[in-house]
Order: sequence, then structure tokens, then C-alpha cells
Amino acid sequence: MKASSKLILTPLVSNLQSIDANQIVTAELGASNSPPLVRAVGIEKSYGGARALQGVDIEIAPGEVHGLVGANGAGKSTLIKILAGLVHPDAGSIEIDGNEQFLASPHAAAEFGMNFIHQELAFIPGMTVLENIMLGIPKKSRFGIIDWAAIEDNVRPIAERVGITAALNVSVKGLSTAENWLINICRALVQKARLIVMDEPTASLSGSEAEKLFQIVQELSKSGVAVLYVSHRLDEIELLCDRVTVFRDGHSVDEISKDKLTRARLVEGIVGGAVESAGPKTTSFASEKTVLKVDALARAPMVNGVSFELHEGEVLGIAGLVGAGRSELAHLIYGADRPDAGSMTFDGESYAPKSPTAAVKAGFGLVPEERRADGLVLSKSVAFNAQLSNLENIIYSPALPFINYGKRKVGVDRIIRDLAIKTQNMDMSVGQLSGGNQQKVVIGRWLLRQPKVLILDEPTRGVDVGARAEIHRLVRELAKDGMAVIVISSEPEELPDLSDRVLVMADGRIVKELSGKALSRNAIVAASYTEIEHSRTA
Amino acid sequence: MSQNSSSSRRLSPTTRMALGVFARYGTILGLAVMIIAFSILSPRAFPSVNNFTNVINQASLAMIIAGGLTMAVIVGELDLSIGFAASLHGLLATGLIVSNKLPIPVAIVIVIALGALIGFVNGFIVTRMKVNSVIATLGVGTILTGLAFAYTSGVPIVSGVPEAFLQLSLGRWLFGIPNNIIVMIIVLGTLWAVVERTSIGQEIQAVGGNPAAARLAGIDVSKVKTLGFVISGMCAAMTGILLASRLGSGTTSAADSYLLTAFAAVFLGSATLRDGEFHIFGTFVGALIIAFGFNGLNIFGAPTFSQYIFQGAILIVAVGLSSLGRVISKS
Repeated sequence: MKASSKLILTPLVSNLQSIDANQIVTAELGASNSPPLVRAVGIEKSYGGARALQGVDIEIAPGEVHGLVGANGAGKSTLIKILAGLVHPDAGSIEIDGNEQFLASPHAAAEFGMNFIHQELAFIPGMTVLENIMLGIPKKSRFGIIDWAAIEDNVRPIAERVGITAALNVSVKGLSTAENWLINICRALVQKARLIVMDEPTASLSGSEAEKLFQIVQELSKSGVAVLYVSHRLDEIELLCDRVTVFRDGHSVDEISKDKLTRARLVEGIVGGAVESAGPKTTSFASEKTVLKVDALARAPMVNGVSFELHEGEVLGIAGLVGAGRSELAHLIYGADRPDAGSMTFDGESYAPKSPTAAVKAGFGLVPEERRADGLVLSKSVAFNAQLSNLENIIYSPALPFINYGKRKVGVDRIIRDLAIKTQNMDMSVGQLSGGNQQKVVIGRWLLRQPKVLILDEPTRGVDVGARAEIHRLVRELAKDGMAVIVISSEPEELPDLSDRVLVMADGRIVKELSGKALSRNAIVAASYTEIEHSRTA
Repeated sequence: MSQNSSSSRRLSPTTRMALGVFARYGTILGLAVMIIAFSILSPRAFPSVNNFTNVINQASLAMIIAGGLTMAVIVGELDLSIGFAASLHGLLATGLIVSNKLPIPVAIVIVIALGALIGFVNGFIVTRMKVNSVIATLGVGTILTGLAFAYTSGVPIVSGVPEAFLQLSLGRWLFGIPNNIIVMIIVLGTLWAVVERTSIGQEIQAVGGNPAAARLAGIDVSKVKTLGFVISGMCAAMTGILLASRLGSGTTSAADSYLLTAFAAVFLGSATLRDGEFHIFGTFVGALIIAFGFNGLNIFGAPTFSQYIFQGAILIVAVGLSSLGRVISKS
């Protein structure tokens, strides 16, 4: 919170309109006469035997906000990588301004004005805002010494344009995700971007931060910079996009202009048929039996005295804003961090795990927030990753710990089938799967192990509509079988249908417990925000 | 201009596949080419059962120590202490037998246990004290060299080595196959089975592949890493003992040079069949390539300096091929 005062987000409308009147004119011309900025035709790409793209077309006009939607594994990421020059297509052509081009490398793509802002934003923490903006961009120098003063003069107007008003010389360390976004957009504009690709831009932004991003997107479009907006959040797509391309199973199945854009048509395009809704939960399976009792658990500065009880067969939601201390609480319960104070009781006995190993032995499981970094060994196979916490059950005997490949396969086959994991076979490396399918592998790991308490940290982040419904259904089923499940989610609409009870956290404390009729999206949002302001003034 | 340079860097699918094949099978192909070339150039001296047995016999010691090192690198660490440790182990084995008159099997057990202990210390320093493994094992290795000098005051143990100890390495107790080769096959076979076929092997591979994910999956990362060092230490002890037996003496720096050979073998091995992944069979192939290379140089009477050049070059080529494999597998 303190960091945000370094950079002040300003309303952009007035700033942007004053600049680039010329570009607006060219943008309008571009829309009518000249060739599209980017036209990709018949793009195909296979990884090994898996066909990620099987002939997709997409056309982006100058200054247009173009939406790209599709389920996980539909091929969005692959297309982005191709436009970024990171991956080369097997077939098809890419035209820029009507001329066929080959995007050999990220550098070549940048020279054509293609810029990419990825889900995981990468900055060098020790460097200043300005240094990060200029990273890898040729810099003005005098006698071989970089002329930072001149560079700053060049960058400042652009920084102001996107809403960075001050302090280009502070370190990027500690800046919020939203501020990182602004820096990235600024960086793109410094490189004279004509197309900025944003991949799930609001995944880790708060509501108000997202609002500001929308403004920036609209202003970029007005000033002639096209935006390819990739998102699972259809309300954002509807709000922002002039045109939307829908991908399904490696094909481009629909292109919808703004006037014809409806939620139903988007969903139909993405799913290719009827949507299977998880439906509101009908029964609660929670029993009176307490599995885990958490008492005044604390670890400064993120967790400041948390107490609650978790029951057998219960789905307990933990809501709150990013930074409320939810993941940190999960890490304390899971033994990944040690608490400063407080205690826990598990199954009636004192429980103080020294490590995740101890927690897993005791009967806990965790699906971490960052599945690629903390959940999977990407170079290894689906089977390897799925059985990683279940090894003791697939060996012949503890004395002779050879793997029983028959047992191993039975388990993996089951979760591939039950979770509908899209993979060629169980030996395919998990790094080649789409995000949603990778998440299913991590969840599948715990289905095989069957812990008594399963903690899911943002289980549906970056996961498509269909997979999301499947994951929700699965969570309910696990609870029905008696497992106690904790679901951490930043999306308030996710928890009411899914959970029996929701705890709202703010500033490392539980500020509200909601259940029954009191449990609603609005109640969660209200609790998350009001309490934050309260604790700030306090 | 940028377009030109871009186009020239374009890899057609065929080129990429060819590169991929080269990265995976290049080492095996290289080995085959080397054997064929030497056979043609020196048809009398090189291609004989005798020479081949000799080459593998000599390479066995390097293979054992490299097999141990492979375990350390699979868990994501480096062990630079192995060469120095092996020297100390050889010295100690000789000393225990000659000076302390211990029975040979007892001496061997003690020395291998010491190897395990040194590995444990390495593991402890790296996992508990959080010291980078390069620094930790270099430090431990240097200390071991110091201990070796302290033990002998720098004077090698040459006299009084019993014939039975010499026979450990020189003997052919099973079907006329040199003992070194038998030990090597048992050690590498066991390590291969552990890594590829057991649950602890899966844990070892997971820790090397992504320690954060392995930890959250419930694997005791520190324990697994320490185990990698312990196995590395035990293998260094075995190589040290066999070398002392072969030389018939205990010398303070006899096995130091095995460090470089082992590294070259391990990295060549990671470029074999798998894309830049360390594995036991690869290490075996890597060590064979180095052994046949040296043998060829010897047969053609190449001067001593060329052996250093060969060893250095092969280390660079090995690491290069290893990373090429990783790059190709990602594209």
C-alpha cells in the first residue's frame, strides 16, 4: 500500500487526448482503406504430436481493441507466442501492413511494433523504473556513456501519458502489479508499439486497478495503438473490444464485431455447445466433527492472529483481496512456513508441522497458487507429476521401493479420465499442456493421495469456463466423500456457490464469517473492502 | 537488414529435427565414428577384445566416480570434492591395511563409510547452512587434501602393500572379467535402478527438476539432496580404493584429476538420448567416449599436452551439447 504512493495513477482521459492527434487520424484512415496491421492466415503449429493450432486466422486493424477468447488449450497462448516471435509456425503466413513477414525472434517482432505484456511480469528488482522501461532498448549515449538525463526527458511524456506521474528513478521493488502494468505499457510505447498484446491482464488486479487498465486500453486504441486483449473474463471482453476472435481446439471458430457481440454467442463459440453449469450447490455435507482447529495463528507481517474451525466434509472459502494474507495462512497450515504464535489441533491432537513433508504425512494437501513455479516439474511427464505425492502407495514394499508400473498407470488413467485432462498420453511432458490441464494434474495428484484436508489456492485462476465448472464439481464431490476442503479465491463470485461457509480476510485477520443466506458475492466484496479501510484509518 | 538477419535465423522444421537428433544421438554417433575411425587408422592395435577390455577396465574407475557425481547433479547440486576425496580414500585404505594391519574388507567398509560421511557433511553444509554447493564442496575438498597431507606428512605409502589388496583391482575373479568392470557394472546398475525404477529415484528427479514444487508435494528436499551427496561420496570412496589397489600405493593427489573426467562424462551423458537431462546410462556413454578418445591418442602416440587439450575441449563440447538439447526440447 505504501509503495503505491510512489506512482500516482491519474485519470488518463485528459492526458492522452492532448497527444497524438495525428495518430488518431491515421488510425481512422487505417480502419477504412489500408491493409490490416496484422493478418495471420492458416497458422498451424504442433508440439511433438499435439496440434496446438490447426489453421487459425486473425486480423487486427490499426487502433483496434481485438479480443481473443477460448478455453484453456484452445491455442491462444501459442498464437501469442508466434506473434511475439518466440515460436515459429509450421504453416501459414503473417502479414504486417499487407506484407508477408517472418517473425524470427522477439527482437524482430518488436521492430515491427509488436509488444507483449505477459501474465507473469518480469522486472529486475534492483533497477529503477526508468532502467526497467529501457531494458534491452538501444539507449542514447554520449561517448559510450548512457545519457540517462536525455532518456528521461524522452520517456517522461510517455510515462505521464499512461499515468506514471512521478519518480522514474525509484526502484521497482515493492511496486504493485497494477504499477508494473503501467511500466510495461510505457515500455511498449517507448518502443513505438503499434500492437500491444495483453494476456489475462486483470488476473491479479483489484477491481479499481482493472478499471484504470480499461481506461488505458481505450486511450491506447484512440491514439492508434491496437490492443490484442486475451482474457477469460467475458464481461471485460464485452466492455472493451471492437472485435473478438474465438478459438476452439486450435481453430478460429468465430469472429464477432462489437455490434453483434453477445454473451451467448461468445460462450457458444468457446464451448461449442451447451455449457455444463456446476449449478448452485444443493446440500452441505459438512458434519459437526471438527477436523482442524486453528487458534490465534500468526506470522508477521501477513498473518496476525487467525482462528477458525474446519469440519469434515466442509468446503470452507477464504475470500479477501490480494495481500490479505490468505496464501500465507495456507502456508502456515501446510508447514511451508513456521508460525510466530498460535497453535493448531488436527483430529483432536496437537498439530505443528515442521515442513510440508510432515503436513502431507499428517493428511494435508496443497494446490499452490503458482502452479508452474510451485506445483509442477514441467520437464517431467503427466504421470510423474500426478503420482509425486503418492509414491509410497505405488511401490512394491517400503523395503523394496521399486515402482509398480501397473498401479502407477491405473491411478493416472483414472485421474486423466475423471478430470478430463487433455493430454496425448500419460508420458507427455506436463510443460506442454495448457494452463487448465496443468492445474488439473496438480489437483489430480491429491485425488490419488486422498488427504483429509485439501487446500486449493486460487484453483481456477486463468482456467476456462468449462474447466472451472469441472473443478468446482470436483471440489463438491471431494467434500461429499468426507474430505475437508479450503478454497482460497480472489473472485468473490466463485465462493458463494462453492462453499458452505466463507471467511473474509483483510490485513492478516478474519474480518467476517459468512454462511447460509448471508453468504453472497456482495457480502464478500463489502466485507473485503470496508474492513480494509477501517484498519487503515485505525 | 533486420529482415535479412531474421530470415537467416529461421530454422525449418527439418533443420530443427536434425538438430534435435544430433543433440540426442550425437554422442552415441560420435562414439561410433571414433571407434570406426580408430579401427581403420590402426587396424592392428585398436580393434581387439584385449584393447577394448583394457579401455573399459581403465575407464571403470572414472565411471564409478562419475556415476556418483551424476546423483549429485540430478538433485541439482555440484560436488567438486570427489577427486580430492578419492585421493584421501585411497591413501586411507592403504594406510589402514599397511600401518594399522586391518583386514582388507574392514578397511574397505571403513573407507566407504567415511565417503558417506563426507557426502553427508557436504549435504549438511548445502541444505542446512545454505552454502552454494560449488563453494561448499570446493571447501570440503580442500580440507580433505589438507587431511591427506597431514595423514602421510606428504610421503606416499608404497611399501608393504599386501598382494591381496593389489588383486582387488588387478584380479579377474569372475569369468576372467576384470574386477574393476564387475564393480562398475554393479555400481552403475544399482544407481540406474535407483534413479529410474524406485520411488526415491522419482523424488531425486523431482528435486532436481523443481525443488519448490517437490517441497510442496511433500518431498523432503534437504534429505533427498543430502542423499545425492552421500551416494556421490560413497562412489568417490570406491574409486579411491580401487585406484590405490591398482597403483599399489597411497598418494596424496592420485585421484584429483578424476574430478574433471567425471564432469566431462556427466555432461556428455546429459546430451545422450535425453534432452540435457542427467542420467546414469548417459554418464556411462560419456565416460566411454572419453576413455576411447584417450586410448586413441595413446595408440597414435600423441604427446602429453594433447591429452589436456582433448579433456578441456570435450568438457566444453559436452556442456554445449547438453544445453543444445535443452534448447531444442523447449522450441
